[in-house]
Amino acid sequence: MARDVLWRRPAYLNTVAGKDISLPPSRILHGKWTNKERVLIFSSRGINFRTRHLMQDLRTMMPHAKADTKMDRKDKLFVINEVCEIKNCNKCLYFEAKKKQDLYMWISNSPHGPSAKFLVQNIHTLAELKLTGNCLKGSRPLLSFDPKFDKEPHYALLKELFIQTFSTPRYHPKSQPFVDHVFTFTIADNRIWFRNYQIIEEDGSLVEIGPRFVLNLMKIFQGSFGGPTLYENPDFRSPNMHRREMRLAAAAKVREKQMVKEMQKGKKTSAKEDLESDVTADVFLTPAEEKPADIQTEAPEPKVVKKKQKAYVKRRALICKYKENCI
Amino acid sequence: HFYLYEKVNIIHLHFIAQLQEAFAAGLLKPGMNVLVDKPKKLVNNVEGLKQCLADFRKDLPWVERLDLTNLPAANIISQAEEKASAPAAGELDADDDFQREMFFYRQAQATILEAMPLLNRHSIATKRPEDYFAEMAKSDQHMQKIRKKLISKQMIMERSEKAKKLREQRKFGKKVQIEVIQKRQQEKKAMMSAVKKYQKGMTDKLEFLEGDQKMNKESSQGSKKAVNKKGPSAKRKYKDQKFGFGGKKSGKKWNTKESYNDVSGFRAKIAHGKGGKKGKGGKQNKRPGKSVRKKMKNRS
Repeated sequence: MARDVLWRRPAYLNTVAGKDISLPPSRILHGKWTNKERVLIFSSRGINFRTRHLMQDLRTMMPHAKADTKMDRKDKLFVINEVCEIKNCNKCLYFEAKKKQDLYMWISNSPHGPSAKFLVQNIHTLAELKLTGNCLKGSRPLLSFDPKFDKEPHYALLKELFIQTFSTPRYHPKSQPFVDHVFTFTIADNRIWFRNYQIIEEDGSLVEIGPRFVLNLMKIFQGSFGGPTLYENPDFRSPNMHRREMRLAAAAKVREKQMVKEMQKGKKTSAKEDLESDVTADVFLTPAEEKPADIQTEAPEPKVVKKKQKAYVKRRALICKYKENCI
Repeated sequence: HFYLYEKVNIIHLHFIAQLQEAFAAGLLKPGMNVLVDKPKKLVNNVEGLKQCLADFRKDLPWVERLDLTNLPAANIISQAEEKASAPAAGELDADDDFQREMFFYRQAQATILEAMPLLNRHSIATKRPEDYFAEMAKSDQHMQKIRKKLISKQMIMERSEKAKKLREQRKFGKKVQIEVIQKRQQEKKAMMSAVKKYQKGMTDKLEFLEGDQKMNKESSQGSKKAVNKKGPSAKRKYKDQKFGFGGKKSGKKWNTKESYNDVSGFRAKIAHGKGGKKGKGGKQNKRPGKSVRKKMKNRS
């Protein structure tokens, strides 16, 4: 499409003889950038490609973001406050990777303000081909929050933190004056779901741009990267515990199967009762009544021999005679 | 190792001392006293949170923040189908992917619908003019890749649809083919028998030659009627009469003892071949004998 051609210069600075050539003059009001928010986005060492891409995507989406080199995990966390001061940033998004598996995100208001630690899951970056939307680089986002954010004090605090961090200040030099995408923060299943949609039509048709991730709140601290804990999430289970539980469940299953097998074996090989002498055999024996001895005085009648037998008998008789004759 | 043992011993002693104190104070009840972990208390410092929020919040005008809080827009589709809209805000099932994503989508939609008039009021543009060229978040190359993927997906779907249709057609086509072949064979048979009849002098009409044309005209209507007229054959009718209707009865009713012994249908004259040809109805156009044919030949 013609309008997707790259052009690096921020368009609203394009003036010729004092007249803005690239924009309809009625639309753009040059103003002074007063809301000085700067966000420092960086990570620890040991992150994987997905996290790296996520960081880059966030920097693309937020023109008021700055990058920094990876921090060594051996340093204490309050060092980050100093880094922020050096860079003249007042918000920070710090990604921490542990065991090359789990990603934690710190979001904090740098000098004194509150900070929060999240576990990040289900990361999809801008580069995924299923996320087909696109937006201007540095355009200001609309922020959309779930009403649940107003109901709990810890969510209200997080909402304020998100608003201040993610919304692009007006008249920021790297920003575009149009509003063409919207960030949504929704609470479901005790987690915060983040989505980024492109506004195609003003009647509400949207396409997802990305990135998308899920934040699982762990703790909220009063200070920046330290200080007293203000809130702990009761529903949070650390990924280690989660993995351990899975392993235990699998192990328990195997053990149960083994036990069942052993029981069956035991049944087979257990000593069987000796059935030769039945102890209870005489219980129901009742001696029979004595019958009077029957003495036969007359000879029994001769049996009626059937034909076959007769023939057989005859034959046998013949054979015997023949034998006798022979001999 | 030895040191650890000592340490454990000391802790044990300490514990015993505590128990003794508790017993002296009358706190221990009779029976077995088991050491239980205190349930972990999770911090929820509501006051602290509110205080922190109050300190930290910036009262910026809405134009700077551009944030909105709203429930998702009404789900038109589910309303049309009159399904109960289960996802009220508290019941969103995070595992039902489609429902969840639709919920997020509708939340964004509601935001836009609410925000548009506000933005217009503050004269913040939402639509880019046609000639506005600027860098996009995703590069052109990437968008090309996405387009290609979408197109290829579409092609695959179309191809599979075509293949399915072809398969169906082939099955149908085979059926039609078989029917046509059978019809042709029947026609051929009829033709041959008509020709033979003519050859043998049974019919002296040559209608069978025109028969094709007539057949083509009447085939659509006549053939159906003819088939219906004939109906089941005589053999079939006889068996139906004897053994009743209802189709094949697993071969149990062909010849039973009773039917075998039933000689009511016996006609001695017909059986011995002495009966007249009334039963057959008398063939029309019966072929005359040799002498008669000779006479006919000599005459003509």
